[in-house]
Amino acid sequence: MTKAMTPPERMMAVMMGQEKPDRVPVVPFIQGYAANIMGMPPGEFWSDGDNYFDANFASMRLHGYEQTPLFGYAACGPWEFGGKVGMPDGSGELAPYVIESPVKTLEDIETLKVPTFDGPLPGGFAIADRNAERCVEMGMPAGFQAGSIFSAAAQVADTNAFLTWVITEPDAVRMLMDKVSDMFINALEYFANKFGAQQCMPFQAGPLEANGMISPDTFRDLVYPYNLKVNQKIKELGIGAVLMHPCADQNLNIPYYVQMREACDWHGRYIWIFGPETSIPDQMKAFGDHDIICGNVDPIAILEKPYAEVVQLCKDAIDEGKDNPGGFILTPGCEFPADAAPIKVMAMMDAAEQFGRYE
Amino acid sequence: MAVADIYHAILAFKHKEIADLVQKELDLKTDVSGILNDGLIAAMDELGRQYSQGALFVPEMLIGALSMKNGLGVLKPILARTNAQPKGIIVIGTVKGDQHDVGKNLVAMMLEGAGFKVVDIGVDNDTAAFVKAITDNNADIAALSSLLTTSMPAMEKIVTELKEQVSGVKTMVGGAPTSMAFAERIGSYGYGGDGPEAVETARKLMAL
Ligand code: B12
Repeated sequence: MTKAMTPPERMMAVMMGQEKPDRVPVVPFIQGYAANIMGMPPGEFWSDGDNYFDANFASMRLHGYEQTPLFGYAACGPWEFGGKVGMPDGSGELAPYVIESPVKTLEDIETLKVPTFDGPLPGGFAIADRNAERCVEMGMPAGFQAGSIFSAAAQVADTNAFLTWVITEPDAVRMLMDKVSDMFINALEYFANKFGAQQCMPFQAGPLEANGMISPDTFRDLVYPYNLKVNQKIKELGIGAVLMHPCADQNLNIPYYVQMREACDWHGRYIWIFGPETSIPDQMKAFGDHDIICGNVDPIAILEKPYAEVVQLCKDAIDEGKDNPGGFILTPGCEFPADAAPIKVMAMMDAAEQFGRYE
Repeated sequence: MAVADIYHAILAFKHKEIADLVQKELDLKTDVSGILNDGLIAAMDELGRQYSQGALFVPEMLIGALSMKNGLGVLKPILARTNAQPKGIIVIGTVKGDQHDVGKNLVAMMLEGAGFKVVDIGVDNDTAAFVKAITDNNADIAALSSLLTTSMPAMEKIVTELKEQVSGVKTMVGGAPTSMAFAERIGSYGYGGDGPEAVETARKLMAL
């Protein structure tokens, strides 16, 4: 009998791409769920890097999946640029949310200062930094947020006003996108310096560039140039692995993600976690030869369907993606629902064990 | 110069020109209801139709909302003087725990475009916030938005408590994870999948 790989060996195998892992790795994109099963109030979890790490590490040990603790949040941007976020207090909110956006008028964009990383770290990056230190101490990658630039910019400003500026004030939008991308570049330099480029795994995720919000033409004109700028920096720094989560339906933006990859002359590995709206064959066509794609099971189905149906949905994803030349990981199509039953993580693990074997 | 110019300017996203165009029509003694129905409301209907088909996106719809606001700003004093009644008064907001407000804003705009008076109470509202806005404004309908499965229980709670606490108000719900079946289960009077459906539901509720 051959010995089973450990989770780090399995991830290493899929990341290096030279040998197959023993089975499909499982990265359940867990954040708030970890607090829930620890019985930790969400505010304590999201506002403290040690708590964040401890809960995620406990969930990792409990379930034996391949994901390592990775700090990032959907409301990234406003706090870092001097506004305010609220930490969830258990009365309804589950994750940090925007209380005050620093940009209220077009003039505010001009005077807005890009956060620097040479003193106390801005906003959530201090939490990410502590989580990353704990990860690196244990030989795991330092994960931190390096996008999405558009989603951050749309929250640094009042979101609804920003969305109108996309049409009425494109130059102001460009100026803000430039400043937000500079913040992420500062973050990349900081983390690469501190932990070493090879130890870093930046994370880019955002829902506001979804096609339920903006057109692919807007994506091409106002989003793509800044995504390219940040990803060129990632390459220049020698970082080899990036987790990309184009959130929700971004099917019409896919050509620009492909173009970005080519324009960077990308040398490393992207891990693509598309929303459940993007089929696995479409992902394979766009990135499958070089990159790792993920079986993006609908998080709402994970929450609502019974165990057996979740196993079946995971099996369907595995059947479609398992032999992708660039590698495959079983994931949900967005964050694992914070209030889902632990048996749903087990469903993902069981599906990988039963249907995701390579030998 | 004709009402059609207003219509076309809205479809061309020239929101800054709408107030002037409406004023010019008024100066020409054009019938106010013609400006409202064939200019502003017809244009909003068309934007809504194109959005539902995926031909337009959220920024374009939000510009449409600005056009509507600019046009209504000129018409409102006259409508008030002529005693024109809104088709109904609607309080709209997202429920406790939910910060997603883009869809709610679009629905508010479509309802306003369709001739309802809309009181937008923003995000993260509990029952008390709805009750206050409903009683302060003597509202006919409470429209609740939820984008998160985790805020759907709050929606159920608010719908139930509104029935107990304010008589005569009808509820309608919407947001991506909700459905007709969910609305029925929690005892809501109505449901809408998007802006145009929200308008249709509101019209039905007013006729009840
Ligand atoms: C944009 C977005 C955000 C933005 C919101 C910005 C803003 N100011 O609104 C930000 C980044 C802040 C955000 C944050 C979060 N989000 Co979010 N977000 C989205 C996204 C991509 C689009 C929502 C949207 O605006 N759509 C466009 C509008 C026009 O459509 P709509 O809202 O559906 O509205 C239409 C209809 O539903 C209807 N309607 C809406 N309201 C009403 C009301 C009535 C009465 C009627 C009749 C009709 C109606 O008409 C509207 C017009 O057509 C969705 C994905 C999706 N598929 O929906 C995820 C999504 C809703 N988010 C999700 C999550 C998990 C979160 C976070 C928890 C992430 C995190 N860990 O921090 C936080 C929660 C914040 C909070 N407490 O609310 C999940 C929810 C999953 C679940 N379990 O329910 C989704 C589904 C993504 C996913 N695939 O997992 N998000």
